[in-house]
Amino acid sequence: MTAMPQTAAATHAPDCHPLAGRAMSGADVVVQVLVDEGVDVLFGYSGGAILPVYDAVFRYNARHRGADGREPMPLVVPANEQGAGFMASGYARASGKVGVAIVTSGPGATNTVTPVRDAMADSVPLVVICGQVPTSALGSDAFQEAPVSNIMGACAKHVFLVTEAEQLEATLRTAFEIARSGRPGPVVVDIPKNVQNAELRFDGTSRLPIPGYRARLRAVENARLGDDDCASFFAALAQAERPLIYAGGGVIAAGAAPALAAFVDAFGLPVTTTLMGLGGIDTTHPLALHMLGMHGTAYANYAVEDCDCLIALGARFDDRVAGAPGKFAPRARFIAQIDIDPAEIGKVKRVDWQHVGPLAAALERLTRYGRAHGIRPMLQDWHAHVAQLKRDHAMNHDRASPLIQPQAVIEAINRVTQGRAIVSTGVGQHQMWAAQYFDFRAPRQWLTSGSMGTMGFGLPAAIGAQFARPDALVIDIDGDGSIRMNLGEMETVTTYGLPLKVVLLNNGGDGMVRQWQKLYFGQRFSASDKSLRRKDFIKAAEADGFAWARRLDDKAALESTIAEFLAFEGPAFLEVVIDPEAGVYPMVGPGASYAQMVTGDFIASRAAVAKATEAAPVDSMF
Amino acid sequence: MKHTLSILLQNEAGALARVAGLFAARHVNIDTLTVAPTHEPAMSHLTVVIHGSDATLEQIVRQTGKLVDVISVRSLGLLCDAASLAGEAAYASSRDPADDRVAV
Ligand SMILES: Cc1ncc(C[n+]2csc(CCOP(=O)(O)OP(=O)(O)O)c2C)c(N)n1
Ligand SMILES: [Mg+2]
Repeated sequence: MTAMPQTAAATHAPDCHPLAGRAMSGADVVVQVLVDEGVDVLFGYSGGAILPVYDAVFRYNARHRGADGREPMPLVVPANEQGAGFMASGYARASGKVGVAIVTSGPGATNTVTPVRDAMADSVPLVVICGQVPTSALGSDAFQEAPVSNIMGACAKHVFLVTEAEQLEATLRTAFEIARSGRPGPVVVDIPKNVQNAELRFDGTSRLPIPGYRARLRAVENARLGDDDCASFFAALAQAERPLIYAGGGVIAAGAAPALAAFVDAFGLPVTTTLMGLGGIDTTHPLALHMLGMHGTAYANYAVEDCDCLIALGARFDDRVAGAPGKFAPRARFIAQIDIDPAEIGKVKRVDWQHVGPLAAALERLTRYGRAHGIRPMLQDWHAHVAQLKRDHAMNHDRASPLIQPQAVIEAINRVTQGRAIVSTGVGQHQMWAAQYFDFRAPRQWLTSGSMGTMGFGLPAAIGAQFARPDALVIDIDGDGSIRMNLGEMETVTTYGLPLKVVLLNNGGDGMVRQWQKLYFGQRFSASDKSLRRKDFIKAAEADGFAWARRLDDKAALESTIAEFLAFEGPAFLEVVIDPEAGVYPMVGPGASYAQMVTGDFIASRAAVAKATEAAPVDSMF
Repeated sequence: MKHTLSILLQNEAGALARVAGLFAARHVNIDTLTVAPTHEPAMSHLTVVIHGSDATLEQIVRQTGKLVDVISVRSLGLLCDAASLAGEAAYASSRDPADDRVAV
């Protein structure tokens, strides 16, 4: 199919942008659109095919340097383009703004495939700008040419290859629009070098016509709950004795956390969140049940077993939550789902009531309607039951062991940070312990690779988050396997003088893999043991300029070391040698139902509680 | 069961590959694919025949409806889904017959 040049719609008065009509190079157009879109930091690595844009960024920063010497759009250089992508992602997740990465063609672009896919899977808005070989060389196997449009087309929300220089400006502006609208996601813009060097005239407002996308977006964004929808929702809720909210990352992406809190308080509905939804409701709220799913809290998972009405908000019944969809929330007679993405409605589990539209508006509407109609469900018994579940099946771990337990490390940090820190993670057991044992008082404090589960995410994401929130305490909880993946970014932390705190929970290997090998592969620890590896992480941190870098293996020194570590003003690195046998519990095995949840040695299962109290079997309760 | 999808697509670089790639990535096998020009030079009409369950069909229609350069998608012989109707309606109302461009 041939590419048709399209004239951008000129719907503006010619003088509405102060620079409209100005002659500019393509590269200067790129920078100007970034400025107009409110971009205040770039993450990227240079190279031949992106040199004109890098030069334009340099000139822009030199021209607009503040009185204090600060650059208006600093360019943060990682050790590897994957780092740049994850920094942009950490920035976006912590701020809600679009994160921007700029890389060169070929290897620069392919190194960002993982963060682009990761952002797509977690609905994170990014714009990734790639240099490309000149249009005359496209498709000729030129030096550092890669088929970015094909590769990224399969991974990103959208990809543009700018073949007509006149469309560069409209394309970039449209890329931001697509990245942040609807269900957010990454947009890749591939810009051949000759397009960056083209002489152009700046327009100031042009956009590409994307009539299908905009029409669908308008339909979804304007969708509002009618009185009938509200009435049927509350009619079903009135029938329910044990309603439960299941809130996902959509609550955070939609900025719907305040609306959710008001909804919860108005009707007294208990809430459990997904891994991505942590912070969508204050985890210390009396009706908050923390996380559900494969490694969710036992009390949240039992509440899912017990509920007779489930309200899914910006959540998609992913397989780490509903590993066995048919057996998920088996007693729920009514399931409601609200999402911005029509494709998620009923994708995994049939629902009885649905709404496709902006979540905050929908929750506000339901709250208003319910209040106006004096709806106040009588849920005392259910509240008492939920409180009992929290007491009976509280999170716990081996407190008697002489070895440091990872859960105790997170608890100790949380005692200091009180649920106010921004926390990023790698992927593995440490990620799950952090999810389980930290409090999150607000949205955008929890940065984790949820859907892709990408090891190596934690350190660069923390860097990006620190740029988004320079005054916040940012902590990377990392694993010895995960941190190795992007260890080069340790130097990036000190280069930019970021005060972030890196905690390495070292269990001498790929603990999560080891846990599965223990459970499902007869203790054959194929390739997961790293106890004989020689890396001295403290020396590595020191070599990268960390002035505070310590190894902790004495349980008695845990509290004092953590206090000192967190109080340190600059970048600090703490390696904690943890019990290599510590496991992540509870655990709902892959494809299993919540009834089959294994709670481990330190959390009481339902059967154990029933036995202890010699009560009737749980099923007879309802 | 065989299903026929009718897709209106903007003629952007890589647009056809993105549609075909989506079907491949979502494990939906394309039996036949025809691409035809429309009265609108900036737009093509795709007819795709697939086989699969009704659930497969519904999901692939909805996922296709998320591709940026797709103007509309519907499954022939089945009720159009709301998103594609909205897309077509908006397209029809935004089109200036005197002008060959797609205005927005
Ligand atoms: C890039 C990547 N490769 C492989 C995996 C598979 N994987 C999941 S967890 C894990 C082990 C992680 O080890 P570590 O970072 O030390 O965390 P731990 O489980 O020990 O806390 C592996 C290999 C992955 N998630 N990401
Ligand atoms: Mg480990």
